[in-house]
Amino acid sequence: MTFRLEIPTLETQRLRLRAPRPDDFETFATFFAAPRTEYIGGPKNRSDSWWELAGTLGMWAFRGFGMWMVEEKATGAVIGRVGPWAPDGWPEPEIGWSLFEGREGRGYATEAALEARDWAYRTAGWTTAISLIAPQNAASKAVATRLGCAPEGRFVHPEEGWEAEIWRHPSAAELSA
Amino acid sequence: MTTTVVIPTLETERLILRALRLDDFEPLAAFYAGPRARFIGGPMTRQQAWTKFQSFLGMWALRGYGMFALEERATGSLVGRAGLQWHEQTPEPEMAWSLLDGFEGRGYAAEAAVAARDHAFEAHGIDAPISLIDAANAPSLALARRLGCVREAGDFTYADGHVVQVWRHPARATAAA
Repeated sequence: MTFRLEIPTLETQRLRLRAPRPDDFETFATFFAAPRTEYIGGPKNRSDSWWELAGTLGMWAFRGFGMWMVEEKATGAVIGRVGPWAPDGWPEPEIGWSLFEGREGRGYATEAALEARDWAYRTAGWTTAISLIAPQNAASKAVATRLGCAPEGRFVHPEEGWEAEIWRHPSAAELSA
Repeated sequence: MTTTVVIPTLETERLILRALRLDDFEPLAAFYAGPRARFIGGPMTRQQAWTKFQSFLGMWALRGYGMFALEERATGSLVGRAGLQWHEQTPEPEMAWSLLDGFEGRGYAAEAAVAARDHAFEAHGIDAPISLIDAANAPSLALARRLGCVREAGDFTYADGHVVQVWRHPARATAAA
């Protein structure tokens, strides 16, 4: 008896969404060491970043969905992380996105998140989705707006006490209508 | 294109070593919240336990090996976790084990560790791994000795300052002799 997990690779015009790999670690750890990760649970030391990278893969096993690393097709560079995300304690599954340092401002987050949301609706069977965004994270709210999301209240993490705005995506039914 | 992760199931006289599942999270989180987890980075919050839990699964994808859930064959209960892990910051692959509260004293950790160690050699060619053990963790130190481990000179310090002893498992040729 064996447990078997398959993580799909998706492609958009400029991006490839694929499972995290060991050689993503240096880029990933550098990103999570920076102060701008304060909105998504950082900054993290190298050790915690390693757990985070491994955990990004592990969610696929427990939930049947998870985040991909985002690769720029033209260069092969890893530029971010995107996808469905639902750790213990989350109000409901969300679509998350992060771009690494210097990769902002080209519409990559929107392009990747759209693809991830499509996958969640079409393949994982979600009917709706949220994104949790730190109130001060203006860049992410701009992406959410471009994705057609609307704010609908706040979430306070029951154990850790941090607060995030809940942004609701258009539902699967609305998008396919 | 997909990324595939395969986790085998091993059997011993009294235990099944298998991939962790979502319903293992509650008993593991309870263990990690308790005082016995102080030797392995705890006690920790549910959120921290979730990250750890996810990353146990992710290790299989990153390294090709990882932590097994230990299930008691007679009852189906989760009794602990054991296996090989190689966190980025540790010097080499490490054989690790933990029993949940109430399952100590029956030789389960030894039974699982021997099976996982044999598998590490046969499937991955990893011979004579180390185990990293807190100096105050008397039950684990006793188990390391029963498994034929020998303490190496020099301790290992994690990024968070936690100092542990380094115990070397016997090489395959030695163990067979």
